[in-house]
Amino acid sequence: MSTAFWLTNTTLETGYQNNNGVVTGTNTERFHLLIDGGKISKIIPVTEAITDDFPQKDVKGLLMLPSFVEKHCHLDKTLLGDRWRSVTPVNSIFERLEIEKKVLPSLETTTQERAEKLLNNYLTSGVTHVRTHVDIYPEVGLKNLEEVKKALQTFEGKLSYEIVAFPQHGLLRSNAKNLISEALHQGANYVGGVDPATVDGDIEASLQQMVDLAVEGNAGIDLHLHDADHLGIFTMKRLARLTKEAGLQGKVAISHAFGLGDIPLSQAKGVAEILADAGISIITSVPIDRKFPPVGLLRKKGVPVAVGCDNIFDVWSPFGNGNILERAGRLAEISGWVDEQSLAQTLSFITDGKTPLNHQGEQVWPNVGDDASIVLVDASCSAEAIARRPGRVMTMHKGEIVSDSFGERIDEK
Amino acid sequence: MAGKTYWLTNVKLETGYRYENGSVTGTKTEQFHVRIEDRTIREIVSADKLLITDLPIQDANNYLMLPSFRDMHIHLDKTYYSGPWKAPTIPSKGIITRLEEEEKLLPRQLPVVEERAKNLLDLLLRAGSTHIRTHCNVDPVIGLKNLEATLQVVEAYKGKASVEVVAFPQHGLLRSQSVSLIREALKNGASLVGGVDPATIDGNIEKSLQTVMELAVESNANIDLHIHDPGHLGIFTFKRLAALTEEAGWQGRVTISHALALADISLEEASDVADMLVHQGISITSSVPIGKTIPIPLLQKKGVEVSLGDDSITDHWSPFGKGDSLEKAGILAERFRLSDEFSLGQTLRYITGGVTTLNADGQRIWPHVGDDADFVFVDASCSAEAVARRTSRVATFFKGNLVVGTL
Repeated sequence: MSTAFWLTNTTLETGYQNNNGVVTGTNTERFHLLIDGGKISKIIPVTEAITDDFPQKDVKGLLMLPSFVEKHCHLDKTLLGDRWRSVTPVNSIFERLEIEKKVLPSLETTTQERAEKLLNNYLTSGVTHVRTHVDIYPEVGLKNLEEVKKALQTFEGKLSYEIVAFPQHGLLRSNAKNLISEALHQGANYVGGVDPATVDGDIEASLQQMVDLAVEGNAGIDLHLHDADHLGIFTMKRLARLTKEAGLQGKVAISHAFGLGDIPLSQAKGVAEILADAGISIITSVPIDRKFPPVGLLRKKGVPVAVGCDNIFDVWSPFGNGNILERAGRLAEISGWVDEQSLAQTLSFITDGKTPLNHQGEQVWPNVGDDASIVLVDASCSAEAIARRPGRVMTMHKGEIVSDSFGERIDEK
Repeated sequence: MAGKTYWLTNVKLETGYRYENGSVTGTKTEQFHVRIEDRTIREIVSADKLLITDLPIQDANNYLMLPSFRDMHIHLDKTYYSGPWKAPTIPSKGIITRLEEEEKLLPRQLPVVEERAKNLLDLLLRAGSTHIRTHCNVDPVIGLKNLEATLQVVEAYKGKASVEVVAFPQHGLLRSQSVSLIREALKNGASLVGGVDPATIDGNIEKSLQTVMELAVESNANIDLHIHDPGHLGIFTFKRLAALTEEAGWQGRVTISHALALADISLEEASDVADMLVHQGISITSSVPIGKTIPIPLLQKKGVEVSLGDDSITDHWSPFGKGDSLEKAGILAERFRLSDEFSLGQTLRYITGGVTTLNADGQRIWPHVGDDADFVFVDASCSAEAVARRTSRVATFFKGNLVVGTL
């Protein structure tokens, strides 16, 4: 652990400006923060003098935000760092799976190299925690997991991570149970899954096996559920039931959950209550080519929601860049959240719920004792950061500066 | 004024598609030398050939050359861009809230309109756009003052970009009694007649449209109307506009911006509306709003000319907007699942005034000798990659001159 140092002249949000009860802006002030042992150990206003001899890094008024969390990516699938290739049209997900199986091993770059390229993008865009899915299926065995672990090891101390053992070709369909179980012993912390109906063909058996694996491996669950409307909803309800029976509340996430976007809001409300009761969270990539879950409603009902980039230039999609702040901005734009408060609170979807100000405008982050996992951005407040997606100037993970473009900052304004 | 004569060497151009089992799987490129003279492309030769010349040489370092981009709907006069951050308010009365806000906001912003418009144009140039259509408020609130400021900027940037100005009665042509102001604006440098929601804002579709058409005919100006009106209200407005277009003989001179109603009807119905638009040469400009997008690929397939624009770039209407047409094209591709090589490459047409580098048969159709020397160099292997990955822009050229960036 490096020695303590001061970040001087950081801008922190201190409250909302109100006009007749309507939030019209954000108040900020400048502070000096002492970083020690990976934590924020002191926060003093700039009017107070620093009296010790610890080194100082002047960040010249940059806004400080909690560093970002990428809750859904596939480090083993990206083509970043390899040559351009577009997406081959297919008629079914099964054709896509076959293409992926062929293409990935044929690339000139290694899985580890490409994963490292993406991890690097994450650090420069302010991310210090990733949840990655890793494909596990009979032909590839645990090889992707090993490659991804190697990549993550080279980033040791720069970011934290969770690994989902993901039976992309179907838990039942590809008979992946033993491999998933093995993956959970080899460093994966979540059991993955994909469309128990469409891919596995047996909702109940697929969900039960997933839950059994989680219980046996003392792991969480993160299920990719693209199945549409009531098929998806039925699957969610069954998973909620099994989650409660197995006592897995708070450890289960459903990624995509498209079904929630397909049904009327009045019905989604009831499903949200079931999810909240079972402690199931929802992860969305904010797709623009189809409907997705009503994030505002879910939040109101107490369902934790996180945003993830998902596809980043892979055989499924030529788009995506790992810029999670941009993804949060997209969520605000598509949801019609344009006012100061709505924009500012959107940050919570990419920070595991942290925002500098709570709904009432009280300063709730950072606190002395918090991990020094932060990002400094070229913006005046959280709302501007979400809407304008300004440059990330410095990323810090537990007190370590892991990305720093302070020197080469060009002011585009 | 004659432009410089010089050679751009080692220019990457697309030359054809690669096929596998009859489908396009990639794009072929080769290197060329391109001679620029008198603001146009005068010669294109293979880089395999040794170039013997006394003319100045600029090495393009094998960057891909694309036609420069067009942002066909922006409001240079209202942006907060480069000014302090301010989020929009919650519009309790919808668009009326925004109009009320302008009564105070526009006079207050007037002193910074020029500076911000210049900064925004610089952003657009960096993104590779050299042709811009800006809608400029002309209304009783600000009179012709925003127009004057905008025209100053257009003049200052005439060597860097072509900017057309729409005289835009934001507060309603009839509602705000702006007819004579618009007439005045058209005499003083605005080149198109604007308008907004003849039904919802003006309250009289027929009279509003007829007045627009009269103004256009008397000034020999083109038309660009903002129509957000939803569902069949919007469609009816399009139909009346098409009828008046035909009566006035204004085919090919009318644009509908937004045309959101097309997102509310069935594809079959939209297809019929598209036929009508094609028949009258009415084009569509969309900002590709991700919450409600009109069926752009369908319109294009039917023959409607569709362009993209950024619309708001952080102003009191919207806090978003990046000023990057290539980003817009990428969003359009993502929105409509255009992710194969051919579809991605062809998406370029929406931001280049219909120009693509290759046609459907994979023949190079841009650039040609005689084309304006308006182009952008990007760090990409082909158009498809540029659209999908929004690759960085290295240098933008307008009429043969480098206007931003370095090669």
